[in-house]
Amino acid sequence: MRNVGIIGVGYTPVFVSKRKDVNIAEMVSEAVDAAYRNTKLTPDDIEAITFGNMQTFEGVNMPHLWAVDHMRALNKPYMRIATGGTTGMSTLHSAYYHVASGLHDVVMAITWEKQSEGDSQVGLSGIVMPEAMVMVQHGMDLFGGKGMGAMGGGSTGAAAYQATSYLHHSGASPEHIDKMAALERSNAALNPYAHLRKKTSVADIQATPFISWPLRFGHTCPTSDGATVVILASEDKVEKLADSVAWINGVGCACSDPATGNFIEGQITDPAEQEPAKLASAKAYAMAGIKDPAKEIDMAEMYNGFAHQSLMWLEKLRLCKEGEAHKMLDAGALNIDGELPTNASGGVFSTNAIGASAMNRPAECALQIMRKIEGGHQIPKKIKNAVSHGWGGMFQYVTVTVLGDEPRHG
Amino acid sequence: MTFEMGEETREVQGMWDISTYNYLVDGAGIKLLVDSMKEKKIRGIKCPQCGTVYVPGPTFCRKCYIDIDDVVEVGETGVVMSYSVEMADVRGNPVDEFRVTAMIKLDGADTWIIGTISGIDWEDAEVGMRVKAFWVDNPMGALTDIDRFEAI
Repeated sequence: MRNVGIIGVGYTPVFVSKRKDVNIAEMVSEAVDAAYRNTKLTPDDIEAITFGNMQTFEGVNMPHLWAVDHMRALNKPYMRIATGGTTGMSTLHSAYYHVASGLHDVVMAITWEKQSEGDSQVGLSGIVMPEAMVMVQHGMDLFGGKGMGAMGGGSTGAAAYQATSYLHHSGASPEHIDKMAALERSNAALNPYAHLRKKTSVADIQATPFISWPLRFGHTCPTSDGATVVILASEDKVEKLADSVAWINGVGCACSDPATGNFIEGQITDPAEQEPAKLASAKAYAMAGIKDPAKEIDMAEMYNGFAHQSLMWLEKLRLCKEGEAHKMLDAGALNIDGELPTNASGGVFSTNAIGASAMNRPAECALQIMRKIEGGHQIPKKIKNAVSHGWGGMFQYVTVTVLGDEPRHG
Repeated sequence: MTFEMGEETREVQGMWDISTYNYLVDGAGIKLLVDSMKEKKIRGIKCPQCGTVYVPGPTFCRKCYIDIDDVVEVGETGVVMSYSVEMADVRGNPVDEFRVTAMIKLDGADTWIIGTISGIDWEDAEVGMRVKAFWVDNPMGALTDIDRFEAI
């Protein structure tokens, strides 16, 4: 299998709540053009395209096909990927497979969401509609006092159970969630491509109301409009086409039984267990030749719709021991200039154009490795190995990508 | 960054009164559960191969990938796996009394169900606490036949 590198990244000029000045195709093409501008490539250089966004969120089907010309994808192999919150990284993995297999040399991966044009809650509801209908027929009490409303309340209701379980098993306190939230929002203030860009203190976070204890409004991500595009090239082409590169040295993904959603058949999994994160990262580390991730990984970009998750994933991805992430936070190790800078970008928690969210993680790692970060969140130390992570599905699907400044050997 | 958003483009509103879907579901496990609740019992399905007990029961074991139909009764006591505290209703309005809702693993089951824990201060809720189900007076064969859980 061939080595594959990321040779360029293109973002929309901003990630914001509402891009009222452009439609979907126009907005996504801004990121496509930015990727061409940043790499000095043209559509003629691209052999195939992968494309990802959430199903149903904008109320349109097959956007990749009706926007084919805006994507500069006419007359080329072209496929859409949709795996939920992980869509962005699955779209990257698909492009990686295209190149690593030897079938194509240069491939573009396009990911986006324009949440202001749709209704995310409708998109989320559609995931469990048959099960929810059966439960309602058997007396499920969505609005009443029997405790079932929490699961009907979308992501936050279900994530609250994950947060409580995580806090219990890790020994972290709710104040650590506040602290992680403040750190990431302050990182986002330095990132021109972040959505919520305001230096934020722990007190600011603690002034926001609880939604479902232990999660506050200040612990949750925004809904964003934006797109991210990445260009991948085979090792043979990298030298010819690119002035800088970040190598994709390991990929992994895994799925457990649904930790929420499929209510009509009893669920086993604790939403804080996240076995797939352990499986997917073990696979990606092995492929990249990483033996001790806690020592060898220099930075992390974790998928965190909710602020407690950054800490949880560091443990699941073996970047520290179970129960140690909040101690690293307290010691300053997760800061941009710390030992293991975590979500220097501000994370999904500060910018969430969902289809692009799991792409922004490896894209940010690549830019950090290439030292092409715009804005103030460039990590000062040299990055040799970086790990990025995507999470979604029914709380149980995880993707992991390990990137490096040198291609993997063997 | 010097990006300035352009003028607003034209906006047209689309109403999508989505068609009726007719989902086919195998409701055997949930029917077994609500029927047993009429007798104030909780029944699920056990896998004869790995011993996993599911409530409500699926028609196949998702660990062994084999069809299963052994009906077993599980306890009305259990342990809290995780919990949350509802401080607002689903429409975002503050509630007068905070409500503790929990993922509860019943004794004898390997799966969790959602229930309300009454009779405790929300700050006393804990992962790992033992709870017992209390039934409504006249169970009708519905998921709401379990009125609440209380700490034991």
